[in-house]
Amino acid sequence: MKLILRINGATRQVEVDGDTPLLWVLREELGLLGTKFGCGAAFCGACTVLMGDVPVRSCSLPVSALGDGVVTTIEGIAGREAMAVQRAWIAGDVPQCGYCQSGQIMGAIALLKANKRPTDRDIDQAMSGNLCRCATYVRIREAIHAAARDLEGPR
Amino acid sequence: MTPALPRRLLFAGTAGLLVPLGGVPSRAQSTGVANPEITDWIVIAPDGEITLGLSQPEVGQGSYTVLPQILADELDADWQRVKVRFVTGRDAYKIAFKNEPAVQKEGASMSTTVLYARLRTPGAQAREVLIRAAAGHWKVTAGQCRADKGVVVGPQGQRLSYGALAGWAARLPLAASPPLKDPAQFALIGKPLARLDTVAKCTGAAVFGIDVVVPGMLYGAIQSAPSFTGSLTAIRNEAEILKLPGVRAVVRLPAVHVANEEPGSQHPGITQGPRHNAVCVVADRFWQAKRAADALDLVFDPGAGGDLSTAKIDGLLHTAMMADKAVTAVETGRPREILQERAASIVERRFTVPHVTHAPLEPVNATASWKDGTLEVWGPIQAVAACQDAIVASLGIKAEAIRLNVTFLGGSFGRKIVPDYVVQAVHASKAVGRPVKLIRTREQDLRHGIFRVNAGGRFRAVVDQRGYPLAVQARVVGQSLFGATRKSWLDQTPEGAWDESMVDGIYNQDYRLPNFLVETVDTPLPVPVYFMRSVGSTAAVFFWESFISELAHRAGIDQYDYRRELLSDNALARRVLDAVAEAAQWKARPGVVRGISYNCYVGRGGRFRTYVAQVVELAPAGDRFAVKRVFCAVDPGLVVNPNTLTAQIQGGIGFAMTTALLSRITFANGGAEQSNFLDYPLLAIDGMPEIVPIILPSDRPPQGFGEVVLAPLAPAIAQALLQASGRRIDSLPLPVEAFRRPA
Repeated sequence: MKLILRINGATRQVEVDGDTPLLWVLREELGLLGTKFGCGAAFCGACTVLMGDVPVRSCSLPVSALGDGVVTTIEGIAGREAMAVQRAWIAGDVPQCGYCQSGQIMGAIALLKANKRPTDRDIDQAMSGNLCRCATYVRIREAIHAAARDLEGPR
Repeated sequence: MTPALPRRLLFAGTAGLLVPLGGVPSRAQSTGVANPEITDWIVIAPDGEITLGLSQPEVGQGSYTVLPQILADELDADWQRVKVRFVTGRDAYKIAFKNEPAVQKEGASMSTTVLYARLRTPGAQAREVLIRAAAGHWKVTAGQCRADKGVVVGPQGQRLSYGALAGWAARLPLAASPPLKDPAQFALIGKPLARLDTVAKCTGAAVFGIDVVVPGMLYGAIQSAPSFTGSLTAIRNEAEILKLPGVRAVVRLPAVHVANEEPGSQHPGITQGPRHNAVCVVADRFWQAKRAADALDLVFDPGAGGDLSTAKIDGLLHTAMMADKAVTAVETGRPREILQERAASIVERRFTVPHVTHAPLEPVNATASWKDGTLEVWGPIQAVAACQDAIVASLGIKAEAIRLNVTFLGGSFGRKIVPDYVVQAVHASKAVGRPVKLIRTREQDLRHGIFRVNAGGRFRAVVDQRGYPLAVQARVVGQSLFGATRKSWLDQTPEGAWDESMVDGIYNQDYRLPNFLVETVDTPLPVPVYFMRSVGSTAAVFFWESFISELAHRAGIDQYDYRRELLSDNALARRVLDAVAEAAQWKARPGVVRGISYNCYVGRGGRFRTYVAQVVELAPAGDRFAVKRVFCAVDPGLVVNPNTLTAQIQGGIGFAMTTALLSRITFANGGAEQSNFLDYPLLAIDGMPEIVPIILPSDRPPQGFGEVVLAPLAPAIAQALLQASGRRIDSLPLPVEAFRRPA
C-alpha cells in the first residue's frame, strides 16, 4: 500500500506491505539505518524512535497504524533536549559496541522532554526498557544527569 | 617482530599535493599514488591525515581507539589527524594465542597484551624514517631533528609536516629496531583519550553488519531445525511460500556447526554434514522474508540428539561429580591420603551452573555477494581467518577469491567468532545469484545460537586447627569446551585429557594450599558451544571462591582476613585485595551486608596475569536485598587508556550481573528453549549497581582486561547473602528467593 509518512521533518511517500513494522520501513525504504533491530518484540528498545515526544518501539508498530504521527529518528533529532543529550553522550563517552545507543538516546530525549530534572528512580523507570548488553548503564545515568544540568544552565 | 614485507604504495586515490623534496621525484608522484604506506600499519596522506591500521575488530572493547593510540604515540602523530581503518591480509596482523600458527582474530583478552609491543615498533620505525627523510632534505643529521605532533623540526627550527615527507619516507628503508620511547615520554599512552568511534555511535552513523547496503541486494530470513542434530526432511508448502509477496527463493541450507578444529588450526572448525538443517527464504525486503520464513511448514528429523533435555544434562553432571574416576589436573602434596585419613571431618560443597549464551544486541547477520566464482562478504565478524576458512570448507571456493569486509560489531562476547551465519548468507547468495543480507531474528539467533558450557563442582577439604585448608580436592565436571571445539588445547595425562578452561581460576589459583588436588570430568553433549567472555572462569571462580567463603565462615574468620592470610606469600595478590578492602572501608564500616572475592585471571597459555578483587555491597529494597555497589580493584599492568579500561570495569560487572542473576538456557527435545529477552532477560538499568573502580599503578606491560572483572562478582554476592541470611547458595543464576530479607 502507498503511505505518506512524516519523518524527521520531511514528508516521505513509501509503498510497502501495510503490516511492515515502522522499523523496516525506516531502514529499508528510507535508508535511516541508525534505528536498530534487536528483538522484534519490543523487549530491548534498540528500535526506539519518537512519535511526537513519546518513545515508541518501531519494531512492533505496523506502519499502517502510524496515521499522521510525526516520527523522529536518531538522524533527525533536534531541539534543546536532543542536543543536550547527544552532547552529554559524547562527552561521557557512553557507547561501547554502540548498537543500542540510538535507542538509548531517543529514550533519554523523551525522558528529559517530560521531566527536566529526573531522579535516579525516574531514570530507572523511563530507561529500563532499553537494554545494553555491554552494560553501559553507569555512563547512561551520568549522561542523563549531565544533560539535565546542561538544560538548566543559561540558554 | 619487524614487519618484513616490502612496503607498498596503497590506497590509490586522487593526486596529492606533495611538496617536492630536494628535487628527487617521489615514487608516489611518479606512480600517481597519493597516500604512501610507511609501514604495514601506517598510511600518511599529503595533507597530513594519518590512517592507522586496525587488525582487531571493534566489538565494544575499545580496540578502535586503544591500538591506534599505541601506534600514534610512538609515531608522534597529531591525534586530531588520525583516522582508523580495518586491515587484513598480512602476517603483521596475525597473533597466536598458544604455541600455534598465528591467525588474525580477536579474543581471549589478547589484543592489547600482544599488540602493545608489536605496534610500538612500526610506530617508531615510521617516526625514525620521517625524521631521516627530513634530515636528508635539510642536509643535516637525523640526530639534529625531532618529531613533534606530525611535524619534523630541524636544527634551525625548520618544519616539515609528515604529510609532506611521507612520499619520500616511503622510499627509504626502515630501521630494523629503532629506539622506542621511554615511557616517561609517552604523550598518548596512559591518557584517558575519548573513543574515536563515539561520535559515529551517538549519531546513528556507525555502520554495523546489519547496516550494510549493497546494490541489488535481497534479504534472507531462516527457520532452523529445533534439535541441534536435526535434519530437514520436507518443506510441505514450498509452492505457497514462493507466491508470497516479495519472495524470490526458498533455499535449503546445509547444516554448519561448530566442531573440533583442524589439527594445527586454532579457530572453530565448521563442519558441514550431508544433512540440511535450515531453510532460508530470500525476498525483496526483510519483513517479507521473515514473514514467509515464519509461514514455512517444515518437517525435521530430530536426529541422534533429539532426546537432549535439561534433566538429562543435570543427571550427567551429578553422576560425574560423584564418579570414582576423574582426570587429575593438578596434584601437590598428599591430598588424597589426608582426605582419606580425616574423612570424618571433611567439609563438602557441590555447585552447578547452567549453559548460558552471549546474546549480543545485534543479532548475527551477514551480507554476501557471490558472483562468477568470486565472493565478497560484509559483516560483524570477530575472527577473519575462521570466517574465511569456514567459507572455503563449506563452498569449495578458493581463499583468494574471497573478500571480507569487517564492520563494527554490535556486541559479540565471543559469539561472532563462529561464522555459521556468514556461511548461511553465502549459500543463500550463491543460490539466487544476487547479494543477500541474511539476518537472524532474535528467536533464530538465541534458540539456534552458540552457548557457553555448563559446569558442576564438588569441593572437599579438611582444615587445620585454625580453620585454614590442610587438604583440598576440587573437581569440576561438565561439557568440555576444548573437548568439543579445540582438542589440541587439552592437557594430556596418562589418565586422559583435561581442559584448563573448566578449572580456570582453580588449577592456577593463588591461595596457600599445602595439599591440593584438582580434577575434571568431561560430559560430552551435542550442544554447540564456544568461548564466551571470561570463558570457564565464571563457573570455576564462583565455585572456588564460594568454597573459600564456606571455609572462612566455618572458621569464624573475617572473609577478608581469611583470604589475606592465604595470600601472604603473594605481594601482588595481597595488594589488590588490600586496595579493595581499603576503598570499601571493610574494617572501618562493619555491619554492611557485603562479600569480598579475589581472582587472578591468567591469559590463555599463561600470556598474562591480571589481579582482581571485588567487594559487593547489598542494600535493602523493600523485602529484598539488591546489589547496591561494587568496589573493583584491578592490577592490569600498564593502562594504555584509563577511559576505556574504566568502561570495561563498569560494563564487565554489568555483564556479570546478568550471568549471576538472570541467565539460564534450558533444553528440551534436542534444542534450546529460550527465544527472546522475555525468557532470556538481560540486566536493565534499574538493576545496575554503582561501580567504584580502583586501578593500581604497575610497571608490568599491559595485561589482558576485557574478561577479567566478570568472575569474582557472583561469589561475592553469594557470600554477602550467606552473611545476611546464613543461606548457602549452590547454583547460578542466584535463586531469586535467596535475596529475600530475613524477617
